[in-house]
Amino acid sequence: MTLRLALTLSLSFATHSAHAAEPLSFNRDIRPIFSKTCFSCHGPDAAAVKGGLRLDIREMALKGGESGQAAIVPGEPSKSLMVSRMQSKDPDDVMPPPEAHLNFTPRDAELLTRWIAEGAKYEGHWSFAPPLKSPIPKMADATGAIDAFVAARLKSEGMKFSPEADRHTLIRRVAFDLSGLPPSPEEVQTFLSDTSPQAYQSMVERYLASPRFGEHFASTWLDAARYADTNGYSIDGGRQQWIWRDWVIHSFNSNQPYDQFLTDQIAGDLIPGASEQQVVATGFSRNHAITHEGGTIPEENLVNYCADRVKTTSETFLGLTLACAQCHDHKYDPLSQREYYQFYAFFNTLGDAGLAGDRGINAAPTLHAASALANPEEEKQVRADLAKLRKSLATAIPAAQDAWETAQRERLAKRGKNFSQIPLKVISATAPNGSPERIKIQADNRIEIAGGDFSAYNILTRLPEEGPPISGIRIVFSGTEASKGKLGFGSAKGLEGNFHLGSLTSSVSSFPATNIDLNAILPISQLSASSTQEGFDIHNILHSDPLVGWAPATGSKGPQHLTATFTHELDRQTNPFLTVEILFNYGSNCSPASFQVFGISGSDDNSPHPQAITEILLTESTARSQEQTSQLRDYFHGIAPEKSTVRHQIKNLEERVSMLTEKHSLLVMDTAKQPRKTHILDRGVYSSPLEEVSPGTPAVLPPLSLEPDSFRERPANRLDLARWMTRADNPLTSRVAVNRLWEHFFGRAISASSADLGSQGQWPSHPELLDWLAVDFRENAWDRKRLIRLILHSKTYRQSSKTTPALLAQDPGNERLGRGPRFRLSAEQIRDQALAVSGLLVERLGGPSVRPYQPGDLWRQVSHYGSSPATSQTFVQDHGEKLYRRSLYTYWKRTLPPTNLSVFDAPNREICSIGRLPTNTPLQALVTLNDPQFVEAARAFALRILKTPSPDESSRLAAAFSHITSRPASHAELKILTQALTRERSHFANHPQAARDLLAIGEASSDDNIPHAEQAAWTQLAATLLNLSEVITRQ
Amino acid sequence: MNPFTFSRRAFLGRAANGLGHAALSSMLLPSLAKLARGGQPDEMNMAAFRTIAPKAKRVIYLFQSGGPSHVDLFDGKDVLKKLHGSDLPASVRGDQRVTGMTSGQASFPVVQPIAPGKLCGPSGAWISDLLPYTQKIAGEICIIRSMHTEAINHDPAITLINTGSMQLGNASAGAWVSYGLGTDNSNLPAYMVLISQGTGKNPDQPIFSRLWGSGFLPSQHQGVILRAGADPVLYLENPNGVSREQRRSQLDDLEKLNHHFAQEVGDPETLARIHAYEMAFRMQASVPELTDLSGESQSTFELYGPESRKPGTYAANCLLARRLAERGVRFVQLFHRGWDQHIAITRQLPNQCRDTDQASAALILDLKQRGLLEDTLVIWGGEFGRTIFSQGKLDAPGAGRDHHGRCFSIWMAGAGVKAGAVVGETDDFCWNITQDPHHIRDLNATLLHQLGLDHHRLTYPYRGLDQKLTGVEPAKIIAKALA
Repeated sequence: MTLRLALTLSLSFATHSAHAAEPLSFNRDIRPIFSKTCFSCHGPDAAAVKGGLRLDIREMALKGGESGQAAIVPGEPSKSLMVSRMQSKDPDDVMPPPEAHLNFTPRDAELLTRWIAEGAKYEGHWSFAPPLKSPIPKMADATGAIDAFVAARLKSEGMKFSPEADRHTLIRRVAFDLSGLPPSPEEVQTFLSDTSPQAYQSMVERYLASPRFGEHFASTWLDAARYADTNGYSIDGGRQQWIWRDWVIHSFNSNQPYDQFLTDQIAGDLIPGASEQQVVATGFSRNHAITHEGGTIPEENLVNYCADRVKTTSETFLGLTLACAQCHDHKYDPLSQREYYQFYAFFNTLGDAGLAGDRGINAAPTLHAASALANPEEEKQVRADLAKLRKSLATAIPAAQDAWETAQRERLAKRGKNFSQIPLKVISATAPNGSPERIKIQADNRIEIAGGDFSAYNILTRLPEEGPPISGIRIVFSGTEASKGKLGFGSAKGLEGNFHLGSLTSSVSSFPATNIDLNAILPISQLSASSTQEGFDIHNILHSDPLVGWAPATGSKGPQHLTATFTHELDRQTNPFLTVEILFNYGSNCSPASFQVFGISGSDDNSPHPQAITEILLTESTARSQEQTSQLRDYFHGIAPEKSTVRHQIKNLEERVSMLTEKHSLLVMDTAKQPRKTHILDRGVYSSPLEEVSPGTPAVLPPLSLEPDSFRERPANRLDLARWMTRADNPLTSRVAVNRLWEHFFGRAISASSADLGSQGQWPSHPELLDWLAVDFRENAWDRKRLIRLILHSKTYRQSSKTTPALLAQDPGNERLGRGPRFRLSAEQIRDQALAVSGLLVERLGGPSVRPYQPGDLWRQVSHYGSSPATSQTFVQDHGEKLYRRSLYTYWKRTLPPTNLSVFDAPNREICSIGRLPTNTPLQALVTLNDPQFVEAARAFALRILKTPSPDESSRLAAAFSHITSRPASHAELKILTQALTRERSHFANHPQAARDLLAIGEASSDDNIPHAEQAAWTQLAATLLNLSEVITRQ
Repeated sequence: MNPFTFSRRAFLGRAANGLGHAALSSMLLPSLAKLARGGQPDEMNMAAFRTIAPKAKRVIYLFQSGGPSHVDLFDGKDVLKKLHGSDLPASVRGDQRVTGMTSGQASFPVVQPIAPGKLCGPSGAWISDLLPYTQKIAGEICIIRSMHTEAINHDPAITLINTGSMQLGNASAGAWVSYGLGTDNSNLPAYMVLISQGTGKNPDQPIFSRLWGSGFLPSQHQGVILRAGADPVLYLENPNGVSREQRRSQLDDLEKLNHHFAQEVGDPETLARIHAYEMAFRMQASVPELTDLSGESQSTFELYGPESRKPGTYAANCLLARRLAERGVRFVQLFHRGWDQHIAITRQLPNQCRDTDQASAALILDLKQRGLLEDTLVIWGGEFGRTIFSQGKLDAPGAGRDHHGRCFSIWMAGAGVKAGAVVGETDDFCWNITQDPHHIRDLNATLLHQLGLDHHRLTYPYRGLDQKLTGVEPAKIIAKALA
């Protein structure tokens, strides 16, 4: 077959459309043409109708517009004005007019003409009519409804089912679809060796019962619900909303019926006797972005928030693009602007504020609630683990401590060598906010601040041209009259009259730059402080986290200082200007009264350790008291690199205990004492209110209440809305739900535009099947796992996805389902798979978001760090088990979403997002080959494989291959891998340093008992396997 | 026949349906796309967008984030000397919304430009002495003094100008161009973004990935950040301990294994993936070559100024922009932060100008001397202008100017732009436009137009609408700015 012929074939069969013999269907064949080409001027938007003609309503089309001539004469295309205007060559006459930039294809014209000839029958839009169960076709090769409907279409087009996929493929498919993770080798083995007829069913049930199921399904829901950990918009400070995510995971795992899942999220707070968790669920409507950008107009923001709720609710649950009617009547669907605001009114009654969410404090209304995933057994285990870890932290490591003490004593002996303090001339001292007059530069270059603050100060100085080399800086803090002699203005507990310095950043420039050069921050080699308030160690300022910092001893008499030694002496010829930024974002006015920046030369004359520790260090070990000995040991254990893993794990588990036992804040819905009134807004503009409207639903859909006068005494509320959405006569809710669930398993929904089942949406590939499933779902108590079983047990789902040129030509997009579905794994699945196979994955359920590896501090490059008390302005990486949690727990910053996920098409979650478009780009290859998360996973996998006993190398290779792919390797594949291993092994044997470098990536430990070259070679091999196209594809 | 030529075609058929036709020519798979078209350009698809003879092959957008003061930089007037200190007449102020930052002020005293200016170039355009280098290229650029926007705060304004809408979720101009035209260099992304910090203000207004995001377009169209330092594109470098030769062998292994698989199950996507891995490998060489400035001459560094030697500065980014243009990158966008002078404008603004003036002018001269200016469209501008009145006490060192959207100035140069022209006028108070108003939709329409893209036709179906960069309101080409 020639290429040209193949193309022609694939195009001509690309869409499910009419055969010449059968009569045309309005919804399938004609409405899409009208919608695409005609409705913007002759459709539902009354204000936009041109020439008085509407084509969306038959009577009006037959009557015609201002011309008085019928646009459509049923049965007589030649008398229909529409046809002659369509065929006209006159640019003033032809439809659509050239300025519309629309056109009919020859096929459109042919179909329209034929449809008129056939009588121009209209149908109501399919998705607004109630779904009905059509009789299940009797097919020889199909039993259940799914297979029967699919087989019927296949047969009508001369196709048939593909054979069932092999077992390796099946278990991998089911595992990814249900748990989001690959099957373990043991799971594969169990399935392969189960010869009972129930083998497949048992396998499916195991994954349905796994807690990983809820995590995986929650992941998709988070996109639709625009869940994120930050507030979005420009400043994008942090928020806490993970309690809601925990609720979602729990809802899936406990198989909460879909109608309740919907009702809790839309109106949980209004259910009589609502439980705490039902109120938690309403966080759904508060997941939207919230701004606290100064100067923005609260009323305008409130409109944006409410419009977002309308958009999200209508797209997510109803498959309606109601958002299109915010400024004018919908162009394509029978939804008026008035109906938009009636729907909006349901979501406009809460007591939220236009500007909110700063300082990491959740925007009201909020709730403190327990996690739905809290579990006493885990708590017991975590507490036991914590006790062990604390014991381990206290265990002495004498050799390491001796070495450290010796080094410290040597260092202390050099204290103050050639030390001098060099006054620097201040050019400017600035803060981002407030009146600059609050900041006074004194003649002696001291900077005095009039009162408490919450922002950063930038001090620009000129370095002296002459004098000793400058190796660092010292900042001396002192009291002033304004502070009544105290060092600062703080009122926080324990920091009264003190300050809290969150971070110190310095850079140099060739000209007087008032801002820090983030690309050339001067690295610090040593830090010291003249005194330290307990819990506020000087080394805290190395973290950019504004809430973790240094404070001198509260109540200190006289000035206090900190000293930072840079790794290199400053080159003041090239860069004579030094800018220093000190940050005071702690709150409670914990900022200094006065300070001065000096250069230093020689060795710092302070100790980097607190005074008491320095004294113990300088005391002969034999002369120390027992108390001193244990004090020094505890101090050492608190900083020793040897103990860092234990320290991280203690911190992580302490947080876990809090997650399991305490209540945490989240944003929820409520009803204000005096709810806002809702008006139609002219062109959607917040400041142009027209008439007031009360809550209501679109007239094209069934009435909100089946009892007249229901809302005479009281306005309808969200609970009424939820009941309407889940009522048996609502044509959309169950269709949307099953359509989207289908999409989860087939990569393509039955109506492919799964967020839009309106006029512009896609005609379903299997309309009877969609309707059958929608009714069946509702009739069976909206049981999600039941529906999943129905799909997974179908022949349709279990087909092989092998593709032949003939199949591709016939049905390139597999719309007819003559083969199994195949698509690339999601961003989360790709990362989680690497963690799972490597054994690094930490399978904790729920809890606060985590910050795994991310390159550099991208956040600070774009953020408002220093100006605003908003949190999450800089990236601070987590450690220990938080590096290895599933990706749905990764901290989601809307303005810079997780880099290794967004490359794989994860949305930024600023708005509701349904379905991801899979792409295939070089940047993705760079992630899976080079991201430390993946390199570390390869390394850990290598170690895992090397530690598993194996008779010989080829068995080990075969095991590695099947571990990652869930199938045995072919002889040819093993040959390639064997050669690769030999090559890499010999390379690393010759380059021992390279092996060590590779093995040092990531925090997970390597094993010094296994030769480094061996580990490194296997790491490379594992990376190759993790990058196989097959491995990141679900087939 | 080889079944895989077949599969490629089918794959692309799917891409064409699912991802929009223009994706065919994107960085995704240029050669496969070509193959599927039998070596011929996809005339039908491209013709839908490209109805205009293109003047520009690429765009360099020098985005000045925060709202540069048009009053002080490009729209100064003699009469303001006299008006200095007088209250802005209510008749001029009109019903203009002001932000929550100055709406409470008792008076609105007029402030003349903080520095004098000169009439420059053939049209005698007023340009501030804070921009001495820009003054010298007045004959090369076209200043538009009559841009306007309805947004008055940063997030909505900067989102509107970069994505065509104040609402969240839309695609950036660069992503649209990537979608519409693809790339001329398959070893680099079609859309690259470079960020620099202003030295005038501490800290700058935040910016965010939405401004270069792909919105509803497929994610391969999002801008790729080119960072200063060792790993200019995220994850570009091989892991420590892995050499380029090792990587080569590894990719050869991968290709062989992937071919086995693709043949076994008939997966065209795998062939595309092999291609993507090869591109990644080439990028690992082409990006360091791109960012290595060691081959640039002394005179080039002198042209761009001393800061151009410092990675991550605006000047260095301008030099990189030229190198990206030379390599056929379709859309290069610099974001320079720090133009939000609410306070201490007399101290902050000169630094912002110093950051950008010499390098912006150098870029124009450099492009010109290399013959690139004629097909490169350069745009300099921010999201809005600033008020004529003082925010804070008149003449106080801490005083500044608030946001102003009713008029502001930008400039364009290069491909088809009328060099030396000035478009539009504002009133004595630099408050209202008196001639040739242009909404920022017009700027976006013009940008596309110069690239040969009709803003009416460059559409993408999403949520029931044919989405456009210019949105639903009418947009017009800024004809007077074009030669």
